[in-house]
Amino acid sequence: MRRLMSRVLGPGALAFPTWAYVVFFFVIPVFLVLFYSFGHKPDEFTAVATDQLSFDRYGEALTGAFVTTLGATLRISIVGTLLCLLISLPFAYWLAVKVPPKWRGLLIALVLVPFWTNFLVRTLGWQITLSPEGFLNQWLIGAGLLDSAFDILYTRTAVQIGVVYNYLPLMILPLFVAIDRAGRSLREASYDLGAPRWTTFMKVTLPLAMPGVVSGCLLVFIPLTGDYVTATVLGGASGSMVGQLIAAQFNTAQNWALGAAMAVILMVTTLLVVAVVGALLWGGQRLAAWWNSTPVSVEERAGDEGGGVR
Amino acid sequence: MRTPGNGTAGRLTITGVQKVFGDQVAIDDLDLVVEPGEFVSLLGPSGCGKTTLLRMIAGFEEPTRGRIRLGGEDLVGTPPFRRPVNTVFQSYALFPHMTVTDNIAYGPRQAKVPRREIADRVREALALVRMETFADRRPEQLSGGQQQRIALARAVVNRPQVLLLDEPMSALDRKLREDMQLELKRLHQDLGITFVFVTHDQEEALAMSDRIAVMEGGRIRQLGTAGEVYSSPSCRFVAGFIGRQNFVPVHEDDRGVLVSQEGEIRFLPGGAGTSQAWQGEELVVAVRPEAVTLRRTEAGQEPQDAEVNTVAGRVQAVSFLGDVVQHLVRTVGGHELLVRGSAYSSETVPEGGTVLLSWRDDAVQVFGDD
Repeated sequence: MRRLMSRVLGPGALAFPTWAYVVFFFVIPVFLVLFYSFGHKPDEFTAVATDQLSFDRYGEALTGAFVTTLGATLRISIVGTLLCLLISLPFAYWLAVKVPPKWRGLLIALVLVPFWTNFLVRTLGWQITLSPEGFLNQWLIGAGLLDSAFDILYTRTAVQIGVVYNYLPLMILPLFVAIDRAGRSLREASYDLGAPRWTTFMKVTLPLAMPGVVSGCLLVFIPLTGDYVTATVLGGASGSMVGQLIAAQFNTAQNWALGAAMAVILMVTTLLVVAVVGALLWGGQRLAAWWNSTPVSVEERAGDEGGGVR
Repeated sequence: MRTPGNGTAGRLTITGVQKVFGDQVAIDDLDLVVEPGEFVSLLGPSGCGKTTLLRMIAGFEEPTRGRIRLGGEDLVGTPPFRRPVNTVFQSYALFPHMTVTDNIAYGPRQAKVPRREIADRVREALALVRMETFADRRPEQLSGGQQQRIALARAVVNRPQVLLLDEPMSALDRKLREDMQLELKRLHQDLGITFVFVTHDQEEALAMSDRIAVMEGGRIRQLGTAGEVYSSPSCRFVAGFIGRQNFVPVHEDDRGVLVSQEGEIRFLPGGAGTSQAWQGEELVVAVRPEAVTLRRTEAGQEPQDAEVNTVAGRVQAVSFLGDVVQHLVRTVGGHELLVRGSAYSSETVPEGGTVLLSWRDDAVQVFGDD
């Protein structure tokens, strides 16, 4: 006990801002949301009451339009994460492998430029670009590439384009770091041993960059499932995401219990998807390792000599 | 691991190769021929271009000009993964996400060697570097010396025509390095393939090579056996870079004697080195520390003016180097000369003692400007 106290009051005190922040702004709110999700909305003017605890709000959430929207949200998030990965991987590889070091800083800064701009403003920019009367449509029609204006604003496609754009830097940065750390000398060793570029990428660079791929996917996927700004600006009625429904329960309908239940369902679903994908990846890696390895075990050695194939 | 039917083992021919990085000339019009099965070291200070030359043979860099051929085949323009050469990297560059076995099997697998044969070859390569029991380890579980052996096994398992070694021992401690030198020499004899070895360590080069290419400023200053580059260096740079030297700036008098600036030491070269055309240049004389003999004298006993290849002095410092005793002697005229002799057979004079130094005329080497 005394040891614990000395830890908390000693060096532990230096970390006070961090753990206080985590406790007050993360742990307590999450528990409150969890707690409220078992409550109910007693009357018009009260947001939440917890005198009677039940699972009724979960039932309410899972029977409404929420489930379809949750499905759509997961689809947008998974497709968005994969698109981010597909777009970022060649770019990050190029940046880490081909670009001379003196230009890298500038290019990374350019990747980050959108981050210096307000999230809402950036998304509104896409509203202008994608609108049927927008400049993109006018140019494409003017150049004869389109007969009539494409009309994807306020659809799921628009949301998809918007989220990929908004979350791309979060994928590029960890991928760049991971590929950069895999290092030139290992790539050269691979070429030297007879592996062409593509094989080298698949067998050396990508496996070593896997931690970056995983963290990039987590950084994109998890905030993406809860995003509601992009969907509000670009999605309209047909492209809504669960984030909007939850926000509506808390802000507009003033039904905190239902909103909390929806939030908990979203969190659990998100973590489940991450867990399933993680398990698949792990299994896949084990399988690949098994498939690629050359057994030179003691047993086989004995078998070889007995078999007399040589 | 010699394989018959592996094609004719080729001679490595480098002709007129130049490599320019930006405005920096790394390799300047370099020619080198390495015979099949030969062990050639590229020796030189850092920045002399030796690693660049090796990387051009491996294919990581392309020459700006010139040709690199192996056997009859032109290597320039061939990507590294199609060249019949393999490299042992300075940092070993073992794949950290693979076991020792998978590291070694990487090359044969790219060459589409049948699975069973890969297993045999990996085992053979592990036996060659005496690492059989480490097959299932990962690189991070190995010491530096062990990683080096695996890097070696991973390269030779491909049966290259030329093995390139880029300062592979620079990260090892001295004792381990000396062991590995013997191992490498044994491996070279066992395999019979061509070794091109890059090093800045002259002892390493002298101990292992059939021939040494001493490099400086992107050029080969001298190419020869260890004995040749040590005993008859072609220029002042080679003389100074390999082994220790006593350099004394001199001028030639009318009788052909080389006299130090203030006239104190008089060198008369004999043997093959005489009657060369070095007049009119800035001359320097070099005498190896081990070619100088030291004799204790009484104070005041000095050589006659007319005597050559001898000088009197006072011992400044004595150091015992194990097998060798080294005296640092300061002459009256202010020259500091190193004298080295066997710890068993030569005299040891304490600090402050007066001595007479002398050397045979065939130990005197004369160099003009480089």
